[in-house]
Amino acid sequence: MIRVQSVHKRFRRHVLKGVSLEIKKGEVFALIGPGASGKSVLFKSIAGLLPIDDGSIEVDRSEITQMDEFELAELRKRMGYLFQNYALFDFLTVGQNIAFPLRRLLNLSDNEVAHRVAERLERVNLSGFQDRDIRQLSGGQKKRVGFARATVTKPPIRLYDEPTAGLDPVTSQKIYDLILADQREVGATVVVISSDVAGVMTIADRVGMLLRGELIFEGTAEEAQRADDPRVLQFVHGHTEGPL
Amino acid sequence: MELYHLLTRTLYYCVRGTREPGAIAAQMYAIGNRSFLFMNITMGFIGAIITYQSATQSQKLLPDLSMLGASYIKLLVRDIAASVGAMPLATRVGAGIAAEIGSMVVTEQVDALRMTAAEPVDYLVVPRFIASVVMSTAVLICAGAAALGSGMLVSHLMFGVSFRSFLNYDLVTWGDLAVGLIKCVAYGAAIAIVSSHRGLATFGGSQGVGQATTDAVVGSCFAIIVLNFFISTVSYVVLPA
Amino acid sequence: MNRPSPLVIPIRLGASTLILAHQIGGLALLLARIVARLIRPRIDRHELIRNLHLMGVRSVPIVMATAAFTGAIMVVQAAPLLVRFNAREWVGWGATYTTFREVGPLLIALIFNGRVGANNAAELGTMVVTEQIDALRALAIDPINYLVLPRLISMVFTLFALTILGDAVALLGSMLTGYVLLDVSPRTFWNSVSTMIETWDLFSGLIKSTLFGGLIALTSCHFGLTVRGGAPGVGRGVNAAVVAAAAGIFIVDYLCTFILG
Repeated sequence: MIRVQSVHKRFRRHVLKGVSLEIKKGEVFALIGPGASGKSVLFKSIAGLLPIDDGSIEVDRSEITQMDEFELAELRKRMGYLFQNYALFDFLTVGQNIAFPLRRLLNLSDNEVAHRVAERLERVNLSGFQDRDIRQLSGGQKKRVGFARATVTKPPIRLYDEPTAGLDPVTSQKIYDLILADQREVGATVVVISSDVAGVMTIADRVGMLLRGELIFEGTAEEAQRADDPRVLQFVHGHTEGPL
Repeated sequence: MELYHLLTRTLYYCVRGTREPGAIAAQMYAIGNRSFLFMNITMGFIGAIITYQSATQSQKLLPDLSMLGASYIKLLVRDIAASVGAMPLATRVGAGIAAEIGSMVVTEQVDALRMTAAEPVDYLVVPRFIASVVMSTAVLICAGAAALGSGMLVSHLMFGVSFRSFLNYDLVTWGDLAVGLIKCVAYGAAIAIVSSHRGLATFGGSQGVGQATTDAVVGSCFAIIVLNFFISTVSYVVLPA
Repeated sequence: MNRPSPLVIPIRLGASTLILAHQIGGLALLLARIVARLIRPRIDRHELIRNLHLMGVRSVPIVMATAAFTGAIMVVQAAPLLVRFNAREWVGWGATYTTFREVGPLLIALIFNGRVGANNAAELGTMVVTEQIDALRALAIDPINYLVLPRLISMVFTLFALTILGDAVALLGSMLTGYVLLDVSPRTFWNSVSTMIETWDLFSGLIKSTLFGGLIALTSCHFGLTVRGGAPGVGRGVNAAVVAAAAGIFIVDYLCTFILG
């Protein structure tokens, strides 16, 4: 369970203005909203990568703003994070990138590691890419390698920042299916940021919408489809005319 | 203050951290490869300049140059080899460390390390710290030898001091040697810590990396000067002439 | 890992020599272009003042701190030898001579190179990769007149001024340390300075720092303007500029020491 309460974060501008939301254990939660509305910043705050200015964030009942570096490191071992800009290690190959958290976290034999890396690559449609250099990959391929790295240790909490950006519709659907399959396997809590609103609504139990640093909607996908707020309606249905 | 915090965490992980096989060796190779030739050439020139200047000046006061080599070697061991050499070394090694870590920060690779159970201090700073301490000491000793050679050459060719009378180690004490070595180790540690700190504090794209590199070089040089001041003063008080 | 072939060392040496020759040629070319424009200079006043402020005023604290510590260190280092040869009263002369001739110009140039030279290369490099230099050309503004000349002039001028400031602060540092550590009164200190130091000692140092300023400006502009390959290229360019200038400073210093004697 992730509970975010009146979180404020300022850089030069006020990015998060008192965001509160609750993500239940084992649900798939979609975070939507226009660009620069604070979605990625909220993600990094939940993972403890960015210190927040005010408010509280609880993950599995422990308050992360009170944690020191070591406690945060322990917490992050239970999280998988897919970065918006991939953040793949450019000094390692594709296979080594995916094996990296496995080797750091679990004490597995080389065989076991290779096996799990191959399984992940197959699931993201990149079989046989183990020895490729990161720099040779396209954006969509990097995204999928990032996805494989974030999920290889089967963490119970998963934060996916734009998992289908740069992917064609067929591969996108495969990733959505994979997100659901993985989630069922370990009963993981999944939070997804996505610009592909229509696609992510098909897998999400609940949806939250951020606009200019404020959470203007929180509810099920169905509720979002017929929300009272005209801004939410416009965004969910992708109309060009409206308050946005 | 933050530097102190980083230093304690680095030392903690030096003892308790996970060993990444080959990481330290790779960093040692990078540092040595980056700086070995450059440092020897630089210190060679510096040695020549210093001997030339001190020989012309001491001729004003003392008629003979018999103590030139002995005094030069004492100063070289006690200070010049480490402190003067550490400046160009900081330019080369510090800039490299800060640029490397800084570009990992702006591409979010450092955040990705945190998310994959690899604490950046443990994974990035510790190997650079150990490698910098070991290799700085080694490179500074080598470059010091280059400075000794060039100084000997200049005093022989321009002032007619024989090699034999130049190579006079009488004034060098064990204390001098210890002070010199302590300096090498301290500077190597300072370069790694200051530069890693600046690298980890990078923000804002490629310009941020440039800024971090600049700050690392200037910060390391300043740290070297301050450390030199303290080590020299303490050693003067503890081990008077 | 592949086993390196026995030819790897000669191949690398040859490659580095070619690169070195290429860079030196580039520097000479840039110098020639600057000299050609100095005949009838058209300098952007606004750019000049901005650079003077950025490079000069903002470097004052670090230069003063460095110089004070260095002045003190020289005395601490020389102390055992001075005591041994019973030459305490000459500490002022020794410290001043070293500061004026070598340590002042050299150290301040190195710090200046790390701060200003690196910044300058980064700034120009970023302008290159974001195609701002091409934009200037498209607007019929000559990048050398508009960007390089003001930077060259302000670097030479500010380094000159900073060296004078640094020399003065370093002397104060030495004097204070001499008083505390060796019990040499400021009066004795000044006596040895005024009897032994010639104006030429100061000037030869300042000539050096002028050359260093020009050298740093030239290398940082050259490496900044020849950046290739996006953001990582800027990082490489900055690093190359700083190292090249540092090596150049030592070589120029070596030559100057013998020529200016």
